[in-house]
Amino acid sequence: MLSITDLSVRYGPVQALSHVSLDVPRGEVTAVIGANGAGKSTLMRTLAGLVKPESGSASLDGNVLTGHRAEDVVRMGVALVPEGRSTVPELTVDENLRLGGLWRSKTERAATHAEVFDMFPVLGERRKMRADTLSGGERQQLAIGRALMCDPQCLLLDEPSLGLAPLIVTQILELVKRLAAEVNIAVLLVEQNAVTALRVAHTGVVLNLGQVVMSGTASDIASHEELRHAYLGY
Amino acid sequence: MTQLLDYVLGGIGSGAIIALMALALVLTWRATRVVNFAQVGQAMFTTFIALSIQTLTGNWFVALIGAIIAGAILGVIVQYLVLRPVKRMDTSGAIIATFGVLIALQAAAGMIWGGDSQAFPQPFGNTALTVFGREWPLSAYDLVVIGFAAVMVVALTLLFTRTSLGLAMRATAFNPEVARLSGVRVGRTLTIGWALAGVVGGVAGVLVAPTSAISPNSFDILLVFAFTAAVIGGLDSLIGAVALGIGTGLVLSVVSGYSDSSNAPVAALVLLALNLAIKPEGIFGHNKARSV
Repeated sequence: MLSITDLSVRYGPVQALSHVSLDVPRGEVTAVIGANGAGKSTLMRTLAGLVKPESGSASLDGNVLTGHRAEDVVRMGVALVPEGRSTVPELTVDENLRLGGLWRSKTERAATHAEVFDMFPVLGERRKMRADTLSGGERQQLAIGRALMCDPQCLLLDEPSLGLAPLIVTQILELVKRLAAEVNIAVLLVEQNAVTALRVAHTGVVLNLGQVVMSGTASDIASHEELRHAYLGY
Repeated sequence: MTQLLDYVLGGIGSGAIIALMALALVLTWRATRVVNFAQVGQAMFTTFIALSIQTLTGNWFVALIGAIIAGAILGVIVQYLVLRPVKRMDTSGAIIATFGVLIALQAAAGMIWGGDSQAFPQPFGNTALTVFGREWPLSAYDLVVIGFAAVMVVALTLLFTRTSLGLAMRATAFNPEVARLSGVRVGRTLTIGWALAGVVGGVAGVLVAPTSAISPNSFDILLVFAFTAAVIGGLDSLIGAVALGIGTGLVLSVVSGYSDSSNAPVAALVLLALNLAIKPEGIFGHNKARSV
């Protein structure tokens, strides 16, 4: 389980996150939703070790993650698929995948590599092609595949739906949901598109201006009309 | 016509040296997005160390190995002590800092080995080869230089395309954040890139020294030629650096042959100006031109 306790982040005068606490259990998808600037990406980047928190902590199965650098956090089992540029466009599909988890043994990596191709057959068909020739959806699959190559116990997905057709978003998120259940990993999903996120998530939290304004089951949040109007804008 | 052929052939040896130095510039550029103007200073310093080893042992190969080790260490020192702290500020600061390192290295070399030109002993014959009853403008030593350059290019290509370290280096160059999120130790990878560049530059220095001489400033002109080749090649491309390095060597040899060798730097600058006017992203580059 990924546990976030009282996490605060500050960029100079801006308080980006304020005392955020959240549990992300294994086998489930937990959604973080909120408007632009709510602190969703900051939360993800802090968990991945790219941003230093001002106070508070995060831990995975009892191992404290905060204070470690990104390259060590991923070794501890937390892999982030960042928003937007999350593959290396100049490298081939195969090379992008091989990049994930270079510290692991060759046999382990080969096994995961094959699993990723099973999961995303289109990547296997395009393995020799450069990542920048892929479509948006294929590239997102590649980004998730690269993260899976790191053998994560916890997967952080930052806005996987950005710029993708709704049908492809649904496919990818359904796959992530299945993955969480089958491999028993904890998935934290950040989305601006609340409807889509809450459809696959078990539980969710709503962030606003760096603070958790509500947490509960996905269906509770989805049916909370006032909250939807106030923070999610639909 | 035979004269032109002679001039072209005569340029291959110096072209190989320019190619190696351009390769060193491209390696640091790819790793850290910094054009390392201290590269020739590092090469000069490394070559002086090799000269000292050569004087001590009398063995050229030992001197070359010494240069490879010294070049790597010097690359690490420059990256660690100067680039890392300065890079935190901004990139142009880092480029200016490399000029500072160049001046410091030249001053230090002057203090240690003196400011005068010193001859670097010839490891192989430097007389023109005679084949088919004709004297060619190539010596046995030129062939050794070309051979070394070819071996280094092949080794670097294999390193970049076939090994995990090479993959990590390429990913770090193109997208350091994704590399870091994939578990690549980016800081260490960058340092290895600088060490490699130091080795390549150092070997170029040791190879060129016997054909000219060595003094604290003797490689400055090599920087002009190598920089020209690297930029026209696209700065990002290893193949570009090699192809344009040899190409620059050939052009300069022809220009020197038909006019005077003092015109070579002018010719290099003309090439550079033409490149900036016609194809500023370089022949092998795929980056868009950037206005500053």
